[in-house]
Amino acid sequence: MSVLHVAFKVGDAEYVLPASAVLHLESFAGATKVPGTADSVAGLVHTRGQVVPVVDMRARFGLPPLVRSLDTRVIIVQVGTRTAGLLVDSAREVLDLEAESFRDPPELIEEQSMGLIKAVAQTAERMVMLINLPKLLGEKSHAK
Amino acid sequence: MSDVIDLKQFLGGFLSETNELLRTANTNLLALESSTAKGLPNARSVRELYRALHTIKGLAGMVGVNPIVDLAHALETVLRAADRGSGRLSRDAIELCLKAVKAIEDRVNAVAKQREVPPAPARLLEALGQLEPVAPKEPAVSGTLGIHAELHAKLAPAELQQLADGIAEGSRLYLIEFLPSKARAAAGFTITTVRERVAQVGEIVKVVPRSMKQSAEAPGGLAFELLVLTRGPAEKLAEAAGTPVQELAAQQPAAPEPAAAPAPVLADFDELSEEAEPLTFVRVEVARLDDALSKLSELIVSRFKLKREIAALGERGVDTRALLDIDVLYGLQLDDLRAAIMRTRMVPVAELLARIPLLVRGLSRDTGRAVRLEIDAQDAELDKAVGDRIFPAIVHLVRNAIDHAIEPPEERERLGKPREGLVRIYCNTRASNQLEIVLLDDGRGIDAAAVARRAGREAPQTDAELLELLATPGFSTLDQATTTSGRGLGMDIVKRIVTMDLRGDLTLRTTLGKGTSFSLRLPLTLTIVDVFLVQCGNEIFVVPVSSVEEIIEVEPAKKLRGPLPPTSRGIFLYERREEALTLVELSTALRIAPTENPAKQGLVVRRSSQGFIFEIERVLGQQEVVVRPIEDPLVQATGVAGATDLGNGQPVLVLDLIGLSVGLHRTQPRTEVSQ
Repeated sequence: MSVLHVAFKVGDAEYVLPASAVLHLESFAGATKVPGTADSVAGLVHTRGQVVPVVDMRARFGLPPLVRSLDTRVIIVQVGTRTAGLLVDSAREVLDLEAESFRDPPELIEEQSMGLIKAVAQTAERMVMLINLPKLLGEKSHAK
Repeated sequence: MSDVIDLKQFLGGFLSETNELLRTANTNLLALESSTAKGLPNARSVRELYRALHTIKGLAGMVGVNPIVDLAHALETVLRAADRGSGRLSRDAIELCLKAVKAIEDRVNAVAKQREVPPAPARLLEALGQLEPVAPKEPAVSGTLGIHAELHAKLAPAELQQLADGIAEGSRLYLIEFLPSKARAAAGFTITTVRERVAQVGEIVKVVPRSMKQSAEAPGGLAFELLVLTRGPAEKLAEAAGTPVQELAAQQPAAPEPAAAPAPVLADFDELSEEAEPLTFVRVEVARLDDALSKLSELIVSRFKLKREIAALGERGVDTRALLDIDVLYGLQLDDLRAAIMRTRMVPVAELLARIPLLVRGLSRDTGRAVRLEIDAQDAELDKAVGDRIFPAIVHLVRNAIDHAIEPPEERERLGKPREGLVRIYCNTRASNQLEIVLLDDGRGIDAAAVARRAGREAPQTDAELLELLATPGFSTLDQATTTSGRGLGMDIVKRIVTMDLRGDLTLRTTLGKGTSFSLRLPLTLTIVDVFLVQCGNEIFVVPVSSVEEIIEVEPAKKLRGPLPPTSRGIFLYERREEALTLVELSTALRIAPTENPAKQGLVVRRSSQGFIFEIERVLGQQEVVVRPIEDPLVQATGVAGATDLGNGQPVLVLDLIGLSVGLHRTQPRTEVSQ
């Protein structure tokens, strides 16, 4: 059985999310920072009549910030009742991946990524990592 | 993927409809309980209950939640027996039914939270299955009461009993034949409106649809026959129904005649519901109303832009009088549209409080207090969002009243009070878009001295000070002598919900030995708020006008550091009109780079008796905005109440300065300790 995935880039690596979790993609024109929240939260953006928080994936993965370019995208995702955006370097492709092509990530990778990588898959020419979305959005803000 | 979305939308409808039906079920069970206590049958409540559970069963079947189907089915069986029989349920049966309805509620909640739905409790199903129907009394009704045979055959014994009792008590029985037609519907007479109006002047015992030959009088080939008991004049009834009525029976019942075999009444429910008339009500998902509201906020924003452009034109010397006239009209129309949308979001307070009787019943059983509950919500309404937030606070106050305030029955008798304690909830609609909900009891009152001793403080002199003390965070948890109150929120949370979340007001009046009353003053609606646009550093925020007492020019010379430690950066003492206020640099509190500009303004806010000045760059203007709450845990922060849009597509944060001042308090001691 094959499943549609949205592929995106953060740093030099490529990641995927199941298309069923993705509502739509947007270009990025800046977010409103909320004082007292985690550094990895870029802030709030307006999208289709909703205000949603955006996670800066570079900050979340501990990568240095990148000057925003025309390629920068916000992937609007839905997890349960929550809607959020993921700020990524680029997102240009939809991949049809066989469920069997996913493997558990190597132990060290899983450990180092703090559980953010759920699986890895080898497609024709390259390797992609499947993001654990609930884990990614699960962190609470630092403010009390 | 589309399947999933469809199911979700369907679930929303399922949940809202089921919850409403469960409310109906509970209300009728309680009504049944009180008639059982008086030894009276209550055929109408049995039937309403049956109707509610029958529909719940159908709905649950459609979404495939079998445990709910099982429970509803078991209840249905019990109720069918009661309906065909005596129109009564035994006390035990009512108890079991309440449990089963609660079990359905729990499962509906599980569906709402997308959790796994536990199976129906087997013992409960078994117990329901073993209930013996209450034997019908010998039908005291003999004779047809003038009802024609076809209709008479459709009446259950309980209904005949209801008719006979009504007549014996002095009511007259009327038959109304209502023939639906386009012309009548246009005049406002549909079966739904007729039912509603007739129910106001009499007691509807039975409604039966009957098909008939199509004619000019009955273009639909359909008639409804309503059997109605009333003591009022026939003209009133005819007026309500919009059609002549026929008197069937009064005090002296007709000569005895063998009654026709009763036909099961329940069979024709489905038939009835399918004969639905044009609807006067539609069920709307709250999300759709929110959507309409956000579309409206976009309109408000574009008007704001238009206004700016007109002003710019004016500055360039263009004659803009005609445009300004249009703009004024535009503004008024937006106000009307906003009011219209807000009205759709209003829910009756009575509906909000519909679960309270059940709560009181449980509490009075658990605590052994005898309680008389009076709810008088009149026709007050509240925004759905306000209602949802205030409900837990009301529950807490009711719990407190029964748990702590109302004395045990024996003690009350000794004190010369009625055995039953009174808990009364009523509403006052107030000017300026506020609603007051008052909750009072005639219990022992709050002993201010005892409260003070327990808190280790001086005795408060006024009710306001006493409330302050009771609402000290953590105070209520000091007293968890009983299980019931321990489960609830503390008084501090109640105060927080009313004053901070809802920007309302909470007051207390108590007299030792006489009772206590809490008054909750709430805004009718939350979402559209009048705000100041303020600049802080180089960023723009908005602050609700209602929270600001005054805008002042900050005089740097009056800012005093005093003995404050270096950790309390950005906090100063400020003397104003002989009052010492706390001045907080908003930029420091929000960790924003300040500007070099020395001329600053300040927003004065007050939390209880303490005054704060939040120092900002300046106030840029004032306007109405639609506030969207920020609910995602990723972006929850102290002092940020929500977000809004001023027209450039970029969210602007709505600050809650009072909340921010609380946040400063809490973190301050911690910083000092870490030094």
